[in-house]
Amino acid sequence: MAVTTVPVAAPPAAPAERERPRRRTSPTATVLLLLGAAYCLLPVLWVVIASTKSASELFNTFTFTPSVHLFDNIAFLSDYRDGLYWRWMVNSGIFAGVGAAASTLVSAMAGFALAKYDFRGKALAFNLVLAGVLVPSVILAVPQYLLLAKVGMTNTYWSVLLPSMISPYGIYLCRIFAAATVPNEVLEAARMDGAGDWRAFVRVALPMMRSGLVTVFLFQFVAIWNNYMLPFIMLGDDRLFPVTVGLSGLLNQGATQPAMYTSVVTGALLSIVPLVVLFLTLQRYWRVDLGAGAVKA
Amino acid sequence: MKKVFAGVLAAALLMTTAACSEDKSSESTNEKVALTYWSWAPNMDKVVEGWNATHPNIQVTVNKQDGGDPAVAKLLTAIKAGSGAPDVMQAEYQKIPTLVAADAVADIAKEAGDLKAKFPESAWNAVTLGSEAVYGVPQDSGPMMFFYRADIFEKAGVQVPKTWSEYAEAARKIHKANPKQYLGTFSSNDPGWFAGLAQQAGASWWGVQGESWTVAVNDAATKKVADYWGGLVQEGVINNKPMYTPEWNAALNDGTQVGWLGAVWGPGVLEGNAASTKGKWKTTLLPNWDAAAPANGNWGGSATSVTSQTKHKAQAAEFVKWLNTDPAAIKALAGTANVYPAANDATSVALTEPPAFFGDQKDFYTIAAEAGKITKPFTYGPNVNVAYSAYNDAFGKAAEGRKAAAFGAALDTIQQATVGDLKNAGFTVAG
Amino acid sequence: MASTSRRRAGAPYLFLTPALVLFAAFLAAPIGYAVYLSLRRVRVSGLGLGKGARTEVWAGLTNYARSLTDPEFVPSVLRVGAYGLIVVPVMLGLALVLALLLDAGRTRVGTFTRTAIFLPYAVPAVIASLLWGFLYLPRVSPIVDVLGGVGITAPDALSSSWVLYAVANIAIWGGTGFNMIVLYTALRAIPTDLFEAARIDGASDIQIALRIKVPVIGPSLVMTFLFSLIATLQVFAEPMTLRPLSNTISTTWTPLMKVYRDAFVRNDIYAAAATSVIIAAATFVLSYGFLKLVGSRAFSQEN
Repeated sequence: MAVTTVPVAAPPAAPAERERPRRRTSPTATVLLLLGAAYCLLPVLWVVIASTKSASELFNTFTFTPSVHLFDNIAFLSDYRDGLYWRWMVNSGIFAGVGAAASTLVSAMAGFALAKYDFRGKALAFNLVLAGVLVPSVILAVPQYLLLAKVGMTNTYWSVLLPSMISPYGIYLCRIFAAATVPNEVLEAARMDGAGDWRAFVRVALPMMRSGLVTVFLFQFVAIWNNYMLPFIMLGDDRLFPVTVGLSGLLNQGATQPAMYTSVVTGALLSIVPLVVLFLTLQRYWRVDLGAGAVKA
Repeated sequence: MKKVFAGVLAAALLMTTAACSEDKSSESTNEKVALTYWSWAPNMDKVVEGWNATHPNIQVTVNKQDGGDPAVAKLLTAIKAGSGAPDVMQAEYQKIPTLVAADAVADIAKEAGDLKAKFPESAWNAVTLGSEAVYGVPQDSGPMMFFYRADIFEKAGVQVPKTWSEYAEAARKIHKANPKQYLGTFSSNDPGWFAGLAQQAGASWWGVQGESWTVAVNDAATKKVADYWGGLVQEGVINNKPMYTPEWNAALNDGTQVGWLGAVWGPGVLEGNAASTKGKWKTTLLPNWDAAAPANGNWGGSATSVTSQTKHKAQAAEFVKWLNTDPAAIKALAGTANVYPAANDATSVALTEPPAFFGDQKDFYTIAAEAGKITKPFTYGPNVNVAYSAYNDAFGKAAEGRKAAAFGAALDTIQQATVGDLKNAGFTVAG
Repeated sequence: MASTSRRRAGAPYLFLTPALVLFAAFLAAPIGYAVYLSLRRVRVSGLGLGKGARTEVWAGLTNYARSLTDPEFVPSVLRVGAYGLIVVPVMLGLALVLALLLDAGRTRVGTFTRTAIFLPYAVPAVIASLLWGFLYLPRVSPIVDVLGGVGITAPDALSSSWVLYAVANIAIWGGTGFNMIVLYTALRAIPTDLFEAARIDGASDIQIALRIKVPVIGPSLVMTFLFSLIATLQVFAEPMTLRPLSNTISTTWTPLMKVYRDAFVRNDIYAAAATSVIIAAATFVLSYGFLKLVGSRAFSQEN
């Protein structure tokens, strides 16, 4: 793994980015883009419409005919076992929010160290990180469970939070990002002023890496929110479930119970709302340039 | 056969019994304990409220599970890990040998006392594996029943089939009258369903001979069943799509799925999936191979077991016993959790009214009781999971190909996989 | 990127400590444990019932031999290969075209379409597969209805000849937007003067895209390719969710599904561990080989 590649979260107002003059519109481009959007929105539209249907309408009426039962469905889902669904949503929020924040901090520290210091074992540490990127999480989940069970930590929030805190991919991004945005001179200047390593990191490096860290946070947030395998294996108590595991439970009730399709569909719709909001509000941070470093070098 | 099984297992399991009986089952019940119970039955937490209200020192929390398979998968992982298992566990009958083999469930013969007389013989045999040990108390059972759309039968002039050849005739007639309609489907996704049909035909896929296991997934009785369904699928008069899919749901709703070979818990499934068809369904016994000697199979049904990781075996056993024998609990199981309690007196205590979805059919539970009575014995082995997942794959291919010959061949594939797995683990397999 | 020797020598290690501890506990240790398990097996005595009837013993390489000789294993690997050949080029091709269209700036629907195409990234694979499942099943699918309305009999998406494409489609749907954003960001970072001259010389948008823009964002393409490749080898959630809906997806349809089946359905974590180690090694070799292959040309050494 001698070849290093350079993904960089481009800062929102990167100086390299150019201002575009408004150009004549092309109908072909517009049509192609709209086709792409239609393809991507089709299943989303389906879930929006399906969640307005009552249980019998879901299988009896034409798919894209909306109905009026959205709020009934939400009310039913909210009533299900005293609001368990909303507990799942809160759990997902805790796992993704806390996990992503911790993971971003851990990654920032490690990335900073890998980018800005020379030390014995640096190459080894970085190659470990690269190798870590390649390991499928499905493979890790079982041995992680067995090991955590030995210290009695399964079926707790920690059993999902702790493994989510290490993200080789996040470290990888942060390392590149620290290299690209934190000039050595600034660190030197901080040191001249008597700042220690930690102070230089917190006061100088972190603010400069800020937009990249937001990107890493968003990445991790989505990854943890969408994770299924790890919480599925770790958790036995359904009051600890995140929404992915909870919903799939409503769907797979076993042969002797009917699947709760209406609730699953409504729950699926509600579960993507927070992420969509996150996308729309933090859109300017969704800029990941996996190759920028190489261009700059 | 069953007697041989009983004798051998009694000997084999004696050690377990002896080891367990020394547990601190005599500890005072004044100690406050908290138990967890993994179950996938709906509203089980409400059933348990009845226990918690009257047993302040033994508080039980229900952890709802996704269903029988995931629950057992998780339990076995927790057993392997040494911690994380609940105290009490709902376990399908076919999983019990697996759980016993993995030392996941405790023998509660001593704690539970003599319950044998309270349950049907087949259910009791399933939790004891024919030995003196008791690995759980039967919770619910699933004698198979045939559900059909009485309105469509009438319109098409089809008689309710009493034998499998009449069933085939009815399937042809219905599909011919309306090519969109099917009397049933062959589901590659429900090994428990097929095992029930094989059981009715007289198959018993596992068995014990001395110190070795026997496996007979491809015996003559099962072959007969597979060939029968293969023929109907090839002919095209029976659908070949799995059950429990959105598509199956739609078919139940729009009346293109005209019949269903389900089990006693079927009304709940039909109501949940196709509430709008209420009042149009009727139920009867499964069609038979020999009208003169009616028989039946089982699909679903489970016991409540105490796990080997519990620290409160006595209290857990007490709860398990209450849940499945106390009249109030049985009533709640039937009325709130919507299961068909296994206890013999369930019909007199709880099941006096037909399920709401079959409100017009007053004799629903009489038929169910009859279906339970004629259920044939069936022995499960320690690797049911392997056979069942092999069923998914082998019959998936066969059903997709719609070739009758492939159905029999699929059984050979399952047989090979099952025997191979046993041998690989070091079991001795006879034959 | 020279560092200053005057800084305290221990500092980088302290910064790395949390990451290394977590790495050791949740990546290295589980992998090590998986390797250990892959060399073990259970030995049954007698009927295998009751306490002490099962003991764990060393198995040597027999678990590996069983994995590799499983008649379902090679087909599942080939299937994933074919799946990758569909997913990676189509997804990256779409992402590139869409990114170039957005970057050309010749449309008023840029913001809307960019957001819409990115949206599937927010949908967990399990839920995406459920949604597509509804759209695939002939009886509940609006697509089949619409096609039927204009006289086309749509093929059954989950039949044996189409199921691979059906699964691939879900991955393409979920991944195109993300890759498009990555490539779009790279395109936005290209200095204008790199292609303004060409434009003045009369080059068309397409020529500019092919001759200037695509080569410049080559490194980004390589990285998206690599990450897509890794994701492809790990395909699991989509076929797992679709499996109960069809006859055509077996329990060992992909190598990771076999791991899942062995670990959770067959309760044979030893076989699962062996297959896991094989998959991890194969992923590593492929990714490393790919980086070696393109490394010298597409990358400048960073240090």
